[in-house]
Amino acid sequence: MVYSVLRFPNFAHVEYATVGAYFAFTLSAALNLPLGLAAPVAVIGAALVGLATDWLVFRKLRERSDIILMIASFALAIAIREFVLMFWGPSPRFYPVGFSKPLRVFGALISPVQIGIIVTAVVCMGGFHLLLNRTRLGVSMRASADNKLLSEACGIPTDGVVRIIWLIGSGFAGLGGVLIALDTQLQPFMGEAIIIPVFGAAILGGIGSPYGAMLGALLFGFAENVGLTINWTPLLQAFGLEAGAITYIPAGYKEAIPFALLIAMLIFRPQGIMGRRRR
Amino acid sequence: MIAFGIYLLTITCIWGILAISLNLQYGLTGLVNLGQIAFFMIGGYTSVVLVMLAGWPIGLGMAAGALAGAVFGMLLALPTARLQQDYWGISTLAAAEIVRLVFLNQTFGSPYVGGSFGVTNIPRPLEQEIAPTAYPLFYLCLAAVCLVVCWAVAHWLMRLPFGRALKAMREGDEVPLALGKNVSSLRIRVMGVGGALGGLAGALFAHFNAFISPDYFLPLQTFMIWAMVIVGGAGNFAGVLVGALLIELIDSSTRFISGAVPISPQILGPGRMILISVLVILVLIYAPEGLLKERRRRYPEPR
Repeated sequence: MVYSVLRFPNFAHVEYATVGAYFAFTLSAALNLPLGLAAPVAVIGAALVGLATDWLVFRKLRERSDIILMIASFALAIAIREFVLMFWGPSPRFYPVGFSKPLRVFGALISPVQIGIIVTAVVCMGGFHLLLNRTRLGVSMRASADNKLLSEACGIPTDGVVRIIWLIGSGFAGLGGVLIALDTQLQPFMGEAIIIPVFGAAILGGIGSPYGAMLGALLFGFAENVGLTINWTPLLQAFGLEAGAITYIPAGYKEAIPFALLIAMLIFRPQGIMGRRRR
Repeated sequence: MIAFGIYLLTITCIWGILAISLNLQYGLTGLVNLGQIAFFMIGGYTSVVLVMLAGWPIGLGMAAGALAGAVFGMLLALPTARLQQDYWGISTLAAAEIVRLVFLNQTFGSPYVGGSFGVTNIPRPLEQEIAPTAYPLFYLCLAAVCLVVCWAVAHWLMRLPFGRALKAMREGDEVPLALGKNVSSLRIRVMGVGGALGGLAGALFAHFNAFISPDYFLPLQTFMIWAMVIVGGAGNFAGVLVGALLIELIDSSTRFISGAVPISPQILGPGRMILISVLVILVLIYAPEGLLKERRRRYPEPR
């Protein structure tokens, strides 16, 4: 969504996730707040950081080409990441949630934390859907994304809308960061690790289509983990290559799967699954 | 101090070649290559593998590194040449990460060479013939000669119709298309040239450092090259060299500051990266043309 309204890929976006996760960590570990209270505060914090970066950096560059914006966001991403490194150090941290007994759902082992993540994600998607389609703000957001000049002519304060989108976008990113950190761990480079999958999900689904982004995220996670378990031998033999009975993609290449998928996607269907062709 | 100066200049020459390569792609043509480091990596690894495993002479290995960079650049541009610039940026970033993952997982000859261990004991050119005390100076000269050659090639290309077509492409595809230029083919060719320069720089670095590992080729390093081009002045070759020197100076300044001022390395290390990225943002906002502006050629008014 941020991408479509602001018209450039914000590389700093995933860094708000890192910031949000670390805010939650500090609040819960240092101030002994329960995580249920720390997380919303951290999300608000991440949203404010997002708004601040817009104010400090992107507001002055809004009239420039999207290439300049992209490079500025790349620089900003590195600045934020290094700030996190400076304050919290390079070693990974964990939330004080402790171990929990895994539950058995449909024969799969799932921890309660993971169930919480899924529930939160579904609630967020639903809330976002309602916001976009049922409120005045959502309508003006979609209008600004579609055609900035026209919506200005209709009396929509696009600058204000842009600010609200920054708030919501970076807030959601912060929430995502807390969830990721809950499932695995916190480290300063967590944002860098997810940037390609995040862009991939947005592009795969079609830029500017939030539903497409959700579908894209699902497909990406699926491809990354299922791609490893597929037996590729028939495919190799079809190309006349020597292959053993079972050929798996080595696990070390797990991260390469979404990258390759993303490039293939950009080449063959740059408008995404649910998007319209731009330009 | 002199030893450090020679080291700094050598590294600046090597990264200067990378910056010239990126300047050809971005400054002249407007291609946003966020995977520039892949050329560097491929050039370095190609030369190292050919020299150490196949027993090629080092000069030939370096040439092969440059060639491998060119081939990779053209292959990368082949399917992506029609993409918009923001998509181009993301796909080059993704491609560079794939290349890095390949080198992270691939070992050469023995299980402890290559992969995450990196490659150690890389031979240096003419190591027996030159006294160890004079060796850094020799390598500086070698790197400087390569830099001058690359600069000359870049200038020569700029004066050709090819270079003018590239500049026209930077302002949008419409004009070169109207003049009957094949935009995709131009992009592929400029990526080939950029890849060759990047590959050469990578080979120079590998044989200078005598050790390479995939950790040297993170996206962060691509950002460093971008910082050189942006701060120095996109489109101006002298400018990007000034940028390269400045960024390398900041990057290695911590060696002196840590001795003089008592700051913990946990603050100092990230601090210099913050300094570089803030510098880039400030330049983008307040001096978008960089320290040295591009010299625009004036043509006489048509009568």
